[in-house]
Order: sequence, then C-alpha cells, then structure tokens
Amino acid sequence: MKMNAMSPLFRFIFLPFFLFTVGIAQAQLSIEITGAGANRIPVTIVDFPGDPASSRIITSTVRADLERSGLFKLVDHNNLAFDENAPINHADWKSRGADALAAGSIARSADGRMEARFRLYDTQKGVSLGGAAYVTNSAQLRAAGHRIADFIYEKLTGEKGVFSTRIAYVVKARGQFLLQIADSDGQNAATALTSTEPIISPVWSPDGGRLAYVSFEKKKPVIYVHSLASGQRQIVANFKGSNSAPGWSPDGRKLAVVLSKDGFSQLYSVNADGSGLQRIIQSSGIDTEPRYSADGSTIYFTSDRGGSPQVYQVGASGGDVRRVTFEGSYNVSPRPSPDGKNLAFISRREGRFQLAVMDLATRQVQVVSDSNKDESPSFAPNSRMILIATEIGGRGVLSAVSSDGRIKQRLSVAAGDVREPAWGPYYQ
Amino acid sequence: MKKLLIPALLSAILVGCSTTPLPEDSNGAPVESRSGTGTGIASVTAGGVDANGLPRELTDPKSKLSQRSIYFDLDKYEVKDEYKDLVAAHAKYLSANKGFKVLLQGNTDERGSREYNLSLGQKRAEAVKRSLTLLGVSEAQIESVSLGEEKPKDAGHDEAAWSQNRRADILYKGADGRGEF
Amino acid sequence: MRPVRIALFIAALGAAQAQAGVFDDEEARRQVTDLRVKTEARFDQQAKGQLDLASQIQRQADEISRLRGQIETLNYELETAKKRQQDFYLDLDTRLRKFETADSANATVNPENGANSKPAADPARETQEYEAALNQFKAGKYKEAAAGFGAYVQKYPASSLAPNAQYWLGNAWYAQRDCKRAIEAQSVVTTKYADSAKAPDAWLAIATCQQEMGNPTGVKRSLETVIAKYPTAPAADAARDRLKKK
Repeated sequence: MKMNAMSPLFRFIFLPFFLFTVGIAQAQLSIEITGAGANRIPVTIVDFPGDPASSRIITSTVRADLERSGLFKLVDHNNLAFDENAPINHADWKSRGADALAAGSIARSADGRMEARFRLYDTQKGVSLGGAAYVTNSAQLRAAGHRIADFIYEKLTGEKGVFSTRIAYVVKARGQFLLQIADSDGQNAATALTSTEPIISPVWSPDGGRLAYVSFEKKKPVIYVHSLASGQRQIVANFKGSNSAPGWSPDGRKLAVVLSKDGFSQLYSVNADGSGLQRIIQSSGIDTEPRYSADGSTIYFTSDRGGSPQVYQVGASGGDVRRVTFEGSYNVSPRPSPDGKNLAFISRREGRFQLAVMDLATRQVQVVSDSNKDESPSFAPNSRMILIATEIGGRGVLSAVSSDGRIKQRLSVAAGDVREPAWGPYYQ
Repeated sequence: MKKLLIPALLSAILVGCSTTPLPEDSNGAPVESRSGTGTGIASVTAGGVDANGLPRELTDPKSKLSQRSIYFDLDKYEVKDEYKDLVAAHAKYLSANKGFKVLLQGNTDERGSREYNLSLGQKRAEAVKRSLTLLGVSEAQIESVSLGEEKPKDAGHDEAAWSQNRRADILYKGADGRGEF
Repeated sequence: MRPVRIALFIAALGAAQAQAGVFDDEEARRQVTDLRVKTEARFDQQAKGQLDLASQIQRQADEISRLRGQIETLNYELETAKKRQQDFYLDLDTRLRKFETADSANATVNPENGANSKPAADPARETQEYEAALNQFKAGKYKEAAAGFGAYVQKYPASSLAPNAQYWLGNAWYAQRDCKRAIEAQSVVTTKYADSAKAPDAWLAIATCQQEMGNPTGVKRSLETVIAKYPTAPAADAARDRLKKK
C-alpha cells in the first residue's frame, strides 16, 4: 500500500505557535523515569532516511516518548534506516525480539515544509498496522515525533496516547512566580505569566486554549482566565474576601469556584466570562477544591463539615451531599479521572501526604506514591497517568505516577521549585 | 486597657499632634483632619504619621495597636484568650475612627493542600472579623482574605516556623486611601 | 514683732487656702480618671464576655461537625457491614444448597418417589431459574428477585429448592420494606415446608418483621415457637438471645 493512498484524515498541519513569551532556559524541565510497567511491549523504531538531522529529532522523540511511558521496551535498531515502503523481514525482527517495528521517511517540499511519513508493522503477524503522514516544518519536528508516538501507542495498547499534550505548572525561582506551559515531555517550556506574587491552582479549559488560575497580584486571591494564544487575561471572580479553586465544567462554559464573600469558603458556579454567579451549596464550614465529574453531572469537593477535611460529592447544581472518603483524618484535592472510573486525591497517612486512587465502582483505595509531600494531582487525558507536585531533597518537583502506581517519572527544574501541575487536554 | 491608655496619652503629648475624627461631611463620607500644634518639636511632629500615612498610635511599638498579629494553634481558628485584649483594642480604635479600614489576612503553615490551606486561612481571618464586629466595628470597615500557605513569615520547615505562620494579620488603611494595603 | 506675727499668720492662711484649692482639683481629676477606668473596665468586661460567647459558639459548632463526621462514618460502617453480612449469607446459602441438591438428586433415583412428581422435571433448568432470581437479589434488584422466586415456587413447589426459594421470596419482600408480604411468604415456609432447614430461619424473619411493625407479642410468640419446635437449630440460639435482650 502506498502512503498517499491513506486517508486524508491522518494529515495534520502544524501551524506555527505565537502563544508564548520566551521561556527561561534554566526553567527547562528534565525527566527521569523511576519505575516501569511489568509487561513492556518490545518495539523497534528504525532511523528515517532523508535529512539526518531532522530524522534524528523525530526518531529520538518517538523513542523517548515510548520509553518514558513505561509500557514499551526499545529494541536496538542497529543503526538501520529504511522508509515506510521498504520490504520488512518480519521473521528477522521477530527473532531480534521486536514485536512491532516502525519505519518512515522525511521529505522536504519546495516551500520549506516537511512531510514525515511512517508505517507501523506487527512482526508477529507479519502485517502492517497502518501509518500516517504529518506535514510539519523544521521548528515543529518534535511535535511530529509526538504525533507518531501517539499513533504507535494507540495501535499497540488500544488507548489514546498523550505525548502531544501539554502541561502547565508554576515555577518559583529568585523570588518570582512563573506560570509555564511545556510539552508533556517537559520540552519547549514557555512562560505565560510572570509575577512577584504567588500563582496557584492552574486548570486547563477543556479546549486547551485557556488556563484558569488564582493570582495574588492584588494582595489577595483572585481568579483569572488567561487565553494562551493572545495572552489576554480576564478576571472571573474578584469578590470581597478570597476567590479561589477554579474547576472547569466539561463543556468549558462554566467554572466551579470558591468564594468567601459571605464568610467561610463556599462553592459557587460562574460563567467563564465572570457572569451568572450561582451558589451551589451552603455549609457552616469550609467547602473547597470543586471538580466536575467527566460527565458534568456531579462535583467532587473537599469539606470540613464532618470535623476533618474529607472528599464529598454533590449534584452539579446542588442537592444532597454524599461523603466519599472515610479512611484517615485528612483527604483532600479530589480529581475524578476523565474516564470516570477513578478518583485521585491526597491522603495524609502517618504524617505523610500521599497520592491515593479510589476505584469508584468498588470504593477500594490504593496509595500509589512513595513520596511524603504530594499535592495537586492532575490526570492525563487518557486517565492512565497522574501528575503530582511533590518534594525530593527539599526541592519542589513534579512526579507522574500511573493510576496503578507501577510507573513513575520525575520532572524537575534545575534552578527552582516546580509546583501546581495541570495536565492539559488532548491535542486539538 | 489601662496599660494602653498611658502610652497612648504620652505619645499624643509627645507627638504634639492629634488625630481627631470629625463628624461625617455632607456626602456622608468620613473625614479626618490632622494638625500639628506647633510645639516647636518639629522632628516629632513630622513623625505623626508613618511612611504609609498612618497615625503613630497604629505603628508606634509602644502602642498596643502596633501589635497586628494573632497566632493560632494547629488546625484551629479560634482567637485564643491571650489575644482578646489585642482584638478589643483594635475594635475600639476602629469604632472611634470610622474612616479607617482593615484588611485581615489569614495564613497557615505549609503542610497539606494549598487550596485547603487557603480556606483554613480564610477561617482564621473570619474569626478575627467576627470578634471585631461583635465589639461594634462596622462590617464595611473590614475585609477578610486569605493568603493560605503562600506568604510564609518564616520560611523554615519546622514547628518553630510553622507556629509563626499560623497567623492572622491586621492591615490598616486611612480614609485618604493611604496605608498598608 | 507683732506685725511680723500678723504677716506670718496671713501668709499661712493664704498657703492653706491655696493648698485646699490644689486638693480640690486633684480630687476631681482622680474621680474623673476613676470613672473612666471603671467605664473602660465595664466595656472590657462586656467585650470579653462577647468574645467568650463567640468562642463558645465556635467550639460548639466544631463539636457538631465532629459529631456529624462520626455519624457519617458510622453510617458508612453500618452500610458496609450490612453488605458484607448479606454477601456472607448468600455465600453460605449457595454452599449449603450444593449439599441439599445432592441429597435430593440421590432421592429421585428411587422410581417410587418420582411417581407423583410432575412430568420429567429438568433439574438443570430449575437450578438455573433459582440461580437467576438469587443473582437478582445479590445485585440488589429485589423487585425482580421477588418476581423470580415467586414464579419459581409456583412452577416447582415440590423442588428441593422450593423452601429456599420461598424463604428468599420473603427476604426479597422484606428488602423492599414490605413486611406484610414478607410475613406471608415466610409463613408458607413455616407451614408448607415446616420440615425444611429454612423453617427456623423463616420464624426469625417473621419475628424481625413483627418487630418492625410494632407487634411485640407476635415477636415473642414467633421466637418461642422457634425454640420449642427446633430447639437444636442455630436459629433457636438466636431466638434465645433476642428474647434475653428484651
């Protein structure tokens, strides 16, 4: 089968981004893998013929992505390079231990654009699993690599890949707070906002175009919505008292927020432009950290109505409140998984703050991290990994943990504390 | 309260300057006037207001009103007995000086969720606010906010630091808009 | 000498007068100060009272929260215990049933026994239908379970599983908070299947329903019946316990 016979649906054009101000070089995230899955799929990515420099960027990105996921074992490609149409000796690759193989090519068109093509093979069955062609340019080669890795990941594991997604986080360095956005592998970090006052609780809009967060630049917590492409910021809630803990509704039209305008912290919903404020529920204590369930029908939140902070659940427009967590005296920061199956939260156990995951069907809780100061969990859009802020050697780092606790990665910044991570939605 | 009176009087005499609340003007906005009495002690007169434009009695270390912090126990937000005199002194000042506003900032130690700590700090600020309003201060003079664990006074990671950070601060602003917030 | 004396006298008089004036002033000042101190003390006392009251209210609110938390936890534990008990019971019933069906299978080998039974019963199918109803019950679909067990006892009144089905029919009604029908169903177990292993349990179930319906004499009668009729059954022990607690 020829590549050009493939569905045009698989073609993506990468437009240049004008999104961010220039990133600070020292704030680049570096990733370290500290755990991997039990049964990793052996896969080979051969070099792509064509411009060697471009090929290297793409194939090394694909290999690093697959390796980092903890689900694949890279089989040596012996420096071989061949394109997606070359005949494959399946038996040979099988004997080398590769269950799957990807080959491809890079072509430069007259206008300077590039096309990365590839095809994935199942060497066990001796068949092609499909392929794709991505139009890109020299600045976006890594992005093309992420798209290829996503394709391979999905074909071989059956679930969508998240290599093309982005993450947001806050870096504290030299007395400044930087709200940064990076690729899911920590590369391409760019600063969306710099402030001398703290920034906390960033959350991505479901379309990936905006971030809601809490900034203290007005000497008190105020909620903003920040359009990443234009850099335009809008105040969503600046009422008397504190304004905090935004959580987007799945349709991206509303935010659940926490306001103290009537005393203690209470839950409200507000339109993304700041209009249409409505109270969700009322209590005589603290209600905070609201998060909509993936279907938008209910809100999980933290409350001290029972004498200690615990996770509760309420209908999206109010109604009966149901307690969700029971073990221990401190369970906070609930985050329902996008597939609706799990609930991640932070649980204090014997003085340690650890990431815990509850299976919502059976109510079974499992502690999945081995660190002590976990905060702010955030699910990847495919629900497999959870990004948290934690502390290693007295420094704030990010850590990604699979929801079964098996796979662990660590992301840190050389000069500063990283905190408040938020994993963005699928690439759109 | 007796203790408070003497330094307050003393400083009023020494400073030779008085802060006299005047009746509200025709627009209903509170007005204040400050005047030097020309005692000849120029340098002291100049110190009648501090850098933020606040009267000395709010900032003079000898004045009880210069004490602006109320400390709390772990996971607690009850104003302890030892701070009740302090809160009462501020209540009396605010009741007598309706042109002044206060910002109450609640703080917590660094342990646990940032957002939950923000709410806990709010509860602390709220407790101080309730005490002030109970003692006759108008709600309009008070805003209570939280800084959670974000602005630690002591950046350490032990109980000594944490106990400093479980705190509510009282910040003042005069009718002229000058002050600490 | 004399003028000097007079002068001295006048001077002394003046001084005394002046002194009296000073005392008057100081006295007045002292009184004013006293009054102010007293007023302030009263204000302070009132203020302290107010603040103490506020603290007290706050402490009580905290206490209410703590109690609410305890109720939440207890309710959760009760729910979990109930579920665990049900699972345990169902598991036990399933295991016992294996023995019971094995016995009845042995019995039907005897051709004389099969003489008045309905045309060629299909034990596999019977078991399947029973199983289906029981699974409904396990899944908490009590309405469907009641329908299933009801149909079963109509269809296979002579089956070895019929007493069990009748018993679970009663439980399915009870689970739907229909005590009247639950008693009706369990009464069939205690009369029609009085010799079955489920009969003493059925009496206990009847007692539970009577309790909920506010019929203490009925409860007592039922429990005493279990003890009298099935003195060695585990249910009799349970009945004795419950009678003791009264």
